[in-house]
Amino acid sequence: MSGHLHHHNHLVLDDITICYRRRPAVHHLSCALPCGGLVGVVGPNGAGKSTLLHGILGWLPLTSGRIVWNGHDVPGRPGVVSWLGQRRSQDGGFPADVATVVATGRYARLGMLRGFQAEDHAAVTTAMQAMGVTALAQRPFAELSGGQQQRTLVARALASGAEVLLLDEPLTGLDEPSCRDLLKRLKEWAQGGRLAVAVIHDLAAVRTWCDHVLLMHRGLIACGPTAETLTPELVARCYGAESTHG
Amino acid sequence: MGDAFAWLSDPLAHRFVARGLAMAFLLGVAGGLVGCVLLLRRIVLIADSFGHALLPGIGLAYLWLGPGHTGLYAGAAVAGLGTAVMSGLVNHLTRLPEDAAFGALFVICFAVGIALMSQVAAPIDLLHYLFGNILGVTGGDLWRVCATTCATVMVLCLCYRAILMEAFDAPFLRVSGGRNLLIHLGVLAAVVVNIVAALNAVGLVLSLGLFILPAATAYLWCERFGTMLLVAALYGGLASCLGLLASWHLDLPSGACMVAALGVGFVLSVLLSPRHGMLARLRPRRHFAHDEGGDECSSAGTDTRSKES
Repeated sequence: MSGHLHHHNHLVLDDITICYRRRPAVHHLSCALPCGGLVGVVGPNGAGKSTLLHGILGWLPLTSGRIVWNGHDVPGRPGVVSWLGQRRSQDGGFPADVATVVATGRYARLGMLRGFQAEDHAAVTTAMQAMGVTALAQRPFAELSGGQQQRTLVARALASGAEVLLLDEPLTGLDEPSCRDLLKRLKEWAQGGRLAVAVIHDLAAVRTWCDHVLLMHRGLIACGPTAETLTPELVARCYGAESTHG
Repeated sequence: MGDAFAWLSDPLAHRFVARGLAMAFLLGVAGGLVGCVLLLRRIVLIADSFGHALLPGIGLAYLWLGPGHTGLYAGAAVAGLGTAVMSGLVNHLTRLPEDAAFGALFVICFAVGIALMSQVAAPIDLLHYLFGNILGVTGGDLWRVCATTCATVMVLCLCYRAILMEAFDAPFLRVSGGRNLLIHLGVLAAVVVNIVAALNAVGLVLSLGLFILPAATAYLWCERFGTMLLVAALYGGLASCLGLLASWHLDLPSGACMVAALGVGFVLSVLLSPRHGMLARLRPRRHFAHDEGGDECSSAGTDTRSKES
């Protein structure tokens, strides 16, 4: 696999194995996710989707293989990848307005003491516009709807300046219009030469909004443009693999 | 007006009262600041655990080093930091959650502490460290508290961003390359240091009040983290002083009056806070037929409010 993939403009997962609780939850998976679009990660529960994202973030060590973005190994390099976890890792009652939450996306770049520069303000403004939360800037985060909170958190991730955004089940708890709006905005953001990778269970949403899809069940089932990859046969193979893999 | 001024100023004629007031203010400020972080991280009761966990340290220091204050403070600090590290290890290396690890360790420490205290000190000493006496503090105690308060304020200013991120969304701090464990241990160390500083003044049992009450009061009024810190620090400092003055005039225990004064503002806030108080919640709600936030997306009108509706 290593010799065949172009490292430029792809997030390259090259023969990666990641263990969760001492068992390989992702098993020798190889694929290349092209930038400039939204990639849906699809698979049954226990297929290793979240483990895959955690491996890309460097939270779980790779037992084998490499993850490469633009020629550099990704895990353990903050700033390249940002992340939105499954909901509820945030404190819903935290006293902060939307603008502050989005601005925290810049904190890693600024360090402890450096003040906000023009580029930081611009990054925050652009991220808020991209996610449609500019008008909510002064509203307390705790009082937003689920969809608004989710878009605020994505805006925070975008403000960080990362080129790759990983989202672990970002649609959980959102109503249909909110899902549609979030995916549309993510797709628009990614089209500027970046990459959004989202674990999504709603196959209809994947079919409508994702440019590429990664079907997995511990190992790779298929990866490619959505129209060609999300076929009934491959989906059945992906979900049917559950019974054979346990 | 004159009476009120006299009520405030007369006790200052006594040097030990002035010293106690300065100490009350400093302890209230530091307690309020640290309490905000504990409250937002939902680990307030860990401060209580620490209070109890210091006891064996005091007992052992008394046994080995004698009744000198410096040795006792050092013993308490070592016991507190040891408990913090131990509970962190238990939390990370076993399936026990953090609060259970702390709860188990603190009750063991408290039991050992009581056993040690019964061997090494008269009961009056135990009571002193449980409840303190702020009017009996020395100039050295005051300087010690001044140093810990200044250190607390400085660390909080330096680590403000990391603390905010960790309290709001710890995994995102990790994604951003932050050191969550360092921040966590730093917060616990700040709790230990401030409890030890408050030992002589308000004692182990009541020190929790200096952490929780200003922070909880500020939380009911403030919508921003920075404002909450400021309000908690000022309220903690001023209400502690008022409590101490009340104890002087009414001839009541000082530590108890300080905490009770902090409690008055807390109870009033619970009732009257315009956005988060009981009465506000009981008032008929506004009906949000359409999202007033001017959301730019077309779906905004269908979003439902999590709290307001």
